[in-house]
Amino acid sequence: MPQTVPPAPVPQAAKPKPPAPPPEFQEGGISKMDAAALVRILDDGHSPEFQKAKACQRIGELASKEAVPALSRLLGDPHLSVYARHGLEAIVDSSADDALRAALSSLKGEALIGIINSIGKRRDAKAAPALARMILGTDAGVARAAAAALGSIGGEASVRDLQAAFAKTNGATKMAVADASLVCAERLLAEGKRDQALALYGSLSTPGVPKPVRLAAMQGIIREETSVSRPR
Amino acid sequence: MTTRRQILQSAIAPLIVPSVVLGQRAGAVAPSDKIVFGGIGIGARGAHDLSKLLNIHDARFVAICDVRNERRETIKSTVDQKYGDHGCRMYDDQYELLARQDIDAVLIATGDRWHTPLSIIAAQHGKDVYCEKPCSMSMEESWALADAFRRYNRLYQAGCQRRNGANFALCKELLKSGALGKLKTLYANVGPSVNWPPLPSRDWLAAEELPPRTVLDWDRWLGPAPWRPYHSSYVSGGWRNFYDFHGGGILEWGSHTVDLCHWAAELDDTQPVEYEPVGTNVGPYRVNCKYANGVTLVMRDDGWDGSLKTGSCSFRIEGDKGWVETGDATKIECSDNIKPLLRPTESAALALENHVKELVRCIRTRQSPSASAAAAANSHVTCHAAFIAYQRGKTLTWDPARREFTNDEIANHMRSRALREPWRV
Repeated sequence: MPQTVPPAPVPQAAKPKPPAPPPEFQEGGISKMDAAALVRILDDGHSPEFQKAKACQRIGELASKEAVPALSRLLGDPHLSVYARHGLEAIVDSSADDALRAALSSLKGEALIGIINSIGKRRDAKAAPALARMILGTDAGVARAAAAALGSIGGEASVRDLQAAFAKTNGATKMAVADASLVCAERLLAEGKRDQALALYGSLSTPGVPKPVRLAAMQGIIREETSVSRPR
Repeated sequence: MTTRRQILQSAIAPLIVPSVVLGQRAGAVAPSDKIVFGGIGIGARGAHDLSKLLNIHDARFVAICDVRNERRETIKSTVDQKYGDHGCRMYDDQYELLARQDIDAVLIATGDRWHTPLSIIAAQHGKDVYCEKPCSMSMEESWALADAFRRYNRLYQAGCQRRNGANFALCKELLKSGALGKLKTLYANVGPSVNWPPLPSRDWLAAEELPPRTVLDWDRWLGPAPWRPYHSSYVSGGWRNFYDFHGGGILEWGSHTVDLCHWAAELDDTQPVEYEPVGTNVGPYRVNCKYANGVTLVMRDDGWDGSLKTGSCSFRIEGDKGWVETGDATKIECSDNIKPLLRPTESAALALENHVKELVRCIRTRQSPSASAAAAANSHVTCHAAFIAYQRGKTLTWDPARREFTNDEIANHMRSRALREPWRV
């Protein structure tokens, strides 16, 4: 094939400068602060929203457990909740789980969905009973988030809760329950519980299961049954 | 009755040889036999992808979803003009588009923050995906992406089109043939820091008055990104180089060129184990990386269309017997001993067309495209590790199997970002 003559490369010129951030929206020294200083920002009722947001992000890097109470107070804030969760998600200490679990009963709507998502990410099994109840609640968004969180938590109890919920849900919530069950099946396989995983895949391969999940479950069975690495 | 679409989506699809492969059908493709696409968030870059898709005779684009009314109208106009009808439907809710049973695949060209969540939602709806790069905002998203596409057995083509560029392929071939000798060093050139600093800003722009929701849905535009006040600059492309929306120059261009290095050296299943950041935020800068087998990967901003004039998105392979370098200028520069092995290649500009065609072909055959979710996850995790090392300002060591840094706990906390409610991966 003849070589096409390309246009001569043009050295990259500097792009036009973007607007400058105003002084009140510049992170400045917050990125270097220690946990105590960051907590003081969060605890100060006069701290601007921007500073609190940046303090939460910095706490997310430091993962300082002494920040848990201050972060917890922001979980219901429509602008700052995501920042507070970013901080909490990184903290290894169980006090972060306790704070998120406590918020399950005090928040509603999207703030509650965010809490559930963070609980799922942290795989907090102590939250599983509350999540199982939420799948059957009236807020469809909360129900879907609860199903996804149960899938992330995994384990035999989650599988039972999801299977029970499957029969009682429909539409997008049923799809979320089925998706979470697929995640559980993969986790069972990873834990060496092959028979249980295949049984779960089998139950997800039946009519009535949303088609993408049904096909995925069938594929899961095929993949597992035809795996050359499987001991026979 | 079982339809072609049902068979394509089924678990047994990989076992079926389609008639097009057998050469039974040449020329016109029946409308019912076309691969049907929808699009989500198509701006300037997405329009370029779309222009290639619209020229593929056995594909059909039928729907656009965008949070901006103006962009919905623009894409519909482009598509309808191409097809000579009024068939392109417009949506402002991605779930409505994804619920359409007639759509096989979606083109996702939103801002980076949406790439992984939308791709996973699409897979959960049974769709195959072409997604622009960078494909993820964090390591965690990269892994979730690969998991979801494996779980749902859906096809994913990252917008790393140079995997289908002939000049890039020739360099890979020269390495694989042994002509370059034993692999020593890979160079992934990234955009110069004057425009693409390695450390994006964590500041906010001043608040401006929100436009009406019918013009722009700011909440949906932000999507999974942390909340911040509206500024018109963000929505006209100025979101880049802000940390909450962007991974800086390393993710912006490493998602192309690190990906090329992994593809060429057949390193699609591992990452370097060491990352050494060198330089400043105003450049020049580098991240020197080492794989467990001793091979070096250098991400650098001073090689971008550098002295060899190989063009943007260039990469270089050095072995103990020779070296090659190529980029978007198509030409291949190499050591003298390699020159007799070169042959003319088609223009690098054809890579995108080839890449989109590859996905359409793979949707028919159910074979994995070259820039699969697993491959993209691997190259993106490498870029995220380099980005984190640069932010930490120290050499980091990485355990690919355990997916963790072994010498810096703060770096481990940077492997994920919280997504704004209600979004999750």
